[in-house]
Amino acid sequence: MLEQLKEILSNKLKVSPEAITPEATREDIELDSLAVVELSLLLKSELDLDISDDDLLEAETVADMVRLMEERSAKV
Amino acid sequence: MSTGRAAVITGIGSYVPPNVVTNDDLSERLDTSDAWIRSRTGIVERCFITPGTSTGDLAVEAGLRALKSAGAEQVGAVVLATTTPDQPCPATAPQVAARLGLGQVPAFDVAAVCSGFLYGLASAAGLIAAGVADSVLLIAADAFTTIINPEDRTTAVIFADGAGAVVLRAGSANEPGAIGPLVLGSDGELSHLIEVPAGGSRQRSSDRPVDPADRYFRMLGRETYRHAVERMTSVSTEAAERAGWRLEDVDRFAAHQANARILEAVAKRLGLPEDKQLSNIDRVGNTGAASIPLLLAEATAEGRLAAGHRVLLTAFGGGLAWGAGTVVWPELQTF
Repeated sequence: MLEQLKEILSNKLKVSPEAITPEATREDIELDSLAVVELSLLLKSELDLDISDDDLLEAETVADMVRLMEERSAKV
Repeated sequence: MSTGRAAVITGIGSYVPPNVVTNDDLSERLDTSDAWIRSRTGIVERCFITPGTSTGDLAVEAGLRALKSAGAEQVGAVVLATTTPDQPCPATAPQVAARLGLGQVPAFDVAAVCSGFLYGLASAAGLIAAGVADSVLLIAADAFTTIINPEDRTTAVIFADGAGAVVLRAGSANEPGAIGPLVLGSDGELSHLIEVPAGGSRQRSSDRPVDPADRYFRMLGRETYRHAVERMTSVSTEAAERAGWRLEDVDRFAAHQANARILEAVAKRLGLPEDKQLSNIDRVGNTGAASIPLLLAEATAEGRLAAGHRVLLTAFGGGLAWGAGTVVWPELQTF
C-alpha cells in the first residue's frame, strides 16, 4: 500500500519521492487541502478505494494514510 | 450532427475594470500571502470595480465591443447572464439594452452563477431557434466583489469583476461559429456548497434577524473542488461526443476560470495537453459568469484562439449548475 500511495503522490501529485516516508506529515510532503481532495479522487479512480478528503485530513502522517487505505481495502 | 438553423457567433468583446489588485495588495488586509494565493489558485492579479460601478456598467462596455466586433448596430434580443444584478428587481438586461441604444428589444437576465454564459448560450440559441430573434447579444457580467465578504480570505482572493459578450445570429449548424450541442445540468441538493444565504425571499419571509455574514457569498472549497473536477470532466466528454468529436480532436479547451488547480485536474483527466488549454486566471481571477467569454475574447485578441480551432467550452458553479458545448471558432475582429 505504501508503494501504491507513493506512486500516486509522486506521479500524479508531484510530490518528490524522497520526501515520502512513513513518518512524513502532510506539511512535509506539501499536501495542501485541495491536493488532499485530489488524492481522495485518485484513490477512488486508481485503486477503487473510498476514502473521503475529511478522513485523509485526519491522517497526520503518510503511515496513517496507508493504514486508512489498508482498512478500506480490507472491507471490500 | 444536425444541419438545421443554429446560433452562430459573429462578434466578441470583453471588459475588465481598470483597478488592478495584486496578491500583495490583498495580503495587506488579509492573513494570506502571494505564495499561498498563487499555489492554491494560480491567480497573480485581478481587477476590482471601484465604488459607483455596477454589473450593468461592465455589461455595457463588453456589449459595445461585441457589437462593434460583429459590425452590428441592432440585435433582436439581449440576454444577460449574471450572479450580481444591479437590483433584485427588475432584471438588468433591459437597462443594458436601452443604454446600448438597442431600443425595446426583448431583454432578460439568466441566473446560473459561474455557468451563466453556457446557460445564456442555450437561451440565446433558443430565441433564435424559436424565431423570436434573428440575432442576440449575449452578455455575461459579474461585479462579484459586491457579494464577497472582504474578511473571507478563501473567496476574497479568488473572485473578481469583469464582463464578456458575444453576438449570435441565425445560421447553419455546419458553418464556423455555430454553437454545437450544449449539455447542461444542475443539482439543487448541493445548493449549499456555493451560496449567498440571505437577501432573497426565504430570508425576508423568515422572522429571524439576519446574520450579517449571511449577506455574503460563501463556498465550501474542498467539496466544490471535488464536484467541479468530476462534473466538468464528464460533461465535457459528453459534449464532445454529442458533437461527434474525439477529445484528441479538440484544439482549444476553454473552461470556466475557477481555479488553476481545478483546470489542471480536469484537463489531465480529459487528456488535453497544456498547449491546448486557454487560461487567463492568473491575470483576471474568477469572474463568475463572465469568465468564459472574457477568456475567449482575450485569447482571440492575442491569437491563441484562431479561426478553425475546434473549441470545447465547459463551466461549473453554484446551483449546482454545469455545462459544456463545442464551437468551431470563426474569424472574428476584436477591439
